[in-house]
Amino acid sequence: MQLTQAAAEKRLNDLKISDLPIMSIQPKITPVDRDWYQKYCGICREFMRSLSDSVQELAMMNLDRDEFMNLLMGREIPDNLSIRFRIPLIWGGKLEVENLFMCFTFPQSQNIDRFIIEQSGNETIWLPNPVKKIYMPIHSTISGNGGNAVSDRLSQMAANIASNRRAP
Amino acid sequence: MMTQQEFIEILKSRGAVFAAPQPIGKTNIINVNLQKIRAATLPNFVIELYKICGGIKLGNGYIFGPSEFGKPGKHPVPNIFQLNNELTNLTKLRGKTVFGKNDLFWFTFDSFGNCTMLDNLGLNVLRKYDDPYRAMLDCLIGGKI
Repeated sequence: MQLTQAAAEKRLNDLKISDLPIMSIQPKITPVDRDWYQKYCGICREFMRSLSDSVQELAMMNLDRDEFMNLLMGREIPDNLSIRFRIPLIWGGKLEVENLFMCFTFPQSQNIDRFIIEQSGNETIWLPNPVKKIYMPIHSTISGNGGNAVSDRLSQMAANIASNRRAP
Repeated sequence: MMTQQEFIEILKSRGAVFAAPQPIGKTNIINVNLQKIRAATLPNFVIELYKICGGIKLGNGYIFGPSEFGKPGKHPVPNIFQLNNELTNLTKLRGKTVFGKNDLFWFTFDSFGNCTMLDNLGLNVLRKYDDPYRAMLDCLIGGKI
């Protein structure tokens, strides 16, 4: 059944990803290159390396130091994180860093899969399109020690707050 | 056809993470619950796998187990029943059970134990397997970017 924007947003709310921005597309099956998978792996690594500009989001993801470094070096994606296409290749999306975003695998990426599959066969498909490279739900329940990345970040934020307070 | 031992050896050499095996009683409970939601019950190859591990992870490739597993402090990987219980509204999965996934594909078995690879956009069948261990291997290796 074709979803209106309101119906799509309601479904996202049911799936507990209500703060995820969406865009609509008219999917047209597009042939993909034979070597798409090799290129996909390369683009994913490039995307990981590009996340050095998203340290603030990464600091909230409870990564230990090794996971953090492996991610930023483009070596390995940490546990329970997924890289997703904004527009899938088969629907005309490009194999470019700008066409990717990252989110938790369980439950968010799994629920995004469900959201897209439920629209299968529709003329217009609503797809997630987060503002930033990393999507984190506002009410993320992940918590933990977090390692140096978090503690450094929090120390820095605390210092900023303290200096702002001292300013006349 | 690959043997279970060959399958495990390949995964070990690639650095897969194996969850601890669960008591056989868990597998029986999972089968009863899968029947209740009219999904396919566990075929022999899965029951045999669950005797030696309770799920497998390689990068973003997952084979779901009879219990949740994962690192402390991270959201757990759901068990095979939890995952399929959330998918009962998807008509293309009628009579099938999703046993694995990676960032691009889902993997199912039917009541005869036949495995298929589906895309994660419309659950279209992309590949059918004669060898279930080959299906599980594709699922896991596809998760290793």
